[in-house]
Amino acid sequence: MQISTHTHPVDGAIELALNGRFDAHEAAIFRDAFHDALDGGSHQVRVNLAGVEFVDSTALAELVRGMKRCRELHGDLTLVSPSDPVRVILELTKLDAAFDIERVAG
Amino acid sequence: MEEAVMNDTKLSSYREWAATPLTGSPRYSVVIPAYNEEWRIVPTIGAIATHMSALGEPWELIVADDGSSDSTVELVDDLGLVNLRLLIAEKNGGKGSAVRRAVLAAKGDIILFADADQSTPIEQFEALADELASGFDVVVGSRAAAGAEVANKSLSRKIFSAGLSLIVRGLFRVSVSDTQCGFKMFTSDAAHLLFRRQLIDEFSFDLEILYLAAKFELKVTEVPVMWIDAPGSKVDAAKVAVEFLRDLLVIRWNDLRGRYEADNHPLGQDDLRVQHVETTYTV
Repeated sequence: MQISTHTHPVDGAIELALNGRFDAHEAAIFRDAFHDALDGGSHQVRVNLAGVEFVDSTALAELVRGMKRCRELHGDLTLVSPSDPVRVILELTKLDAAFDIERVAG
Repeated sequence: MEEAVMNDTKLSSYREWAATPLTGSPRYSVVIPAYNEEWRIVPTIGAIATHMSALGEPWELIVADDGSSDSTVELVDDLGLVNLRLLIAEKNGGKGSAVRRAVLAAKGDIILFADADQSTPIEQFEALADELASGFDVVVGSRAAAGAEVANKSLSRKIFSAGLSLIVRGLFRVSVSDTQCGFKMFTSDAAHLLFRRQLIDEFSFDLEILYLAAKFELKVTEVPVMWIDAPGSKVDAAKVAVEFLRDLLVIRWNDLRGRYEADNHPLGQDDLRVQHVETTYTV
């Protein structure tokens, strides 16, 4: 999985754009990128999942952990444009109700 | 909580499949054996359901529990997917028994069995289906064929796989280079011919199935696949290697004794041993 990081032009949130398969093998990479984002001072983190075709349970747990950490710091973790399979997985696990999910056209 | 602004064709196909019972026989059956898969199976079902629904053909999903002691059965049952059939086993009988029950219950013209961990991504379904459409009876997903991509496979599993491949190709008539990949596709006729004769319920059932395919002169080919080792694998390479070597002899012995000449699992026999929670199709 590849992760690119940039600052969102509108709200200044850090956006992590993930590409590939997000599973237990990739959890540490995500965690490092997430912590780097928090260390940079932003507690608003956007995780773009448009390029992710599969998330396993470990990946979902990482996202939940990240969301809780952001909220502890009075910020939030937003999922951006999850791909169709990821969206279905979020629905089946009922995590779609727990996350703030934003869909962006294009 | 969500802003929906995109074209949701794929998603709407999934939603229709999830909520609308099939009104005829499915074109495809996807079979997942599951033993204590509470941690892994729901994302796998999500990925498979999204991809298969987008193909535009009627299809069914069958999850064959293998006597799980965790919450696998409850999790799958609670999903409420109307074209998912859950076959519940009272006790653990081995992966081979779970796959057999599901394959013999499958109603599709084309039957795929796939592992519960999505280690072989479902996106490779079409590559196997293309081969089946060109006249093969059995198409095997292969991690050893030229062009395969294998990620995160442990050294012990690499050694194990290479050793098995050498033995199988040297001593058996099985020509495929990877007998154990959990991603195999069959025509309905081939599946029923093979799985009704299957006798091995454990790890080596794949080998037995491919041995039988060669015995009955079915057309078999393999397709290189992408395979990603999923953490939490229940394969104990050393233990399985011993069982596998034993089963090689068992298969030959069974054949010499003529035990593959007739059905060992006539239709309906397995139905008596499992509790079905399933959708009733209008066929």
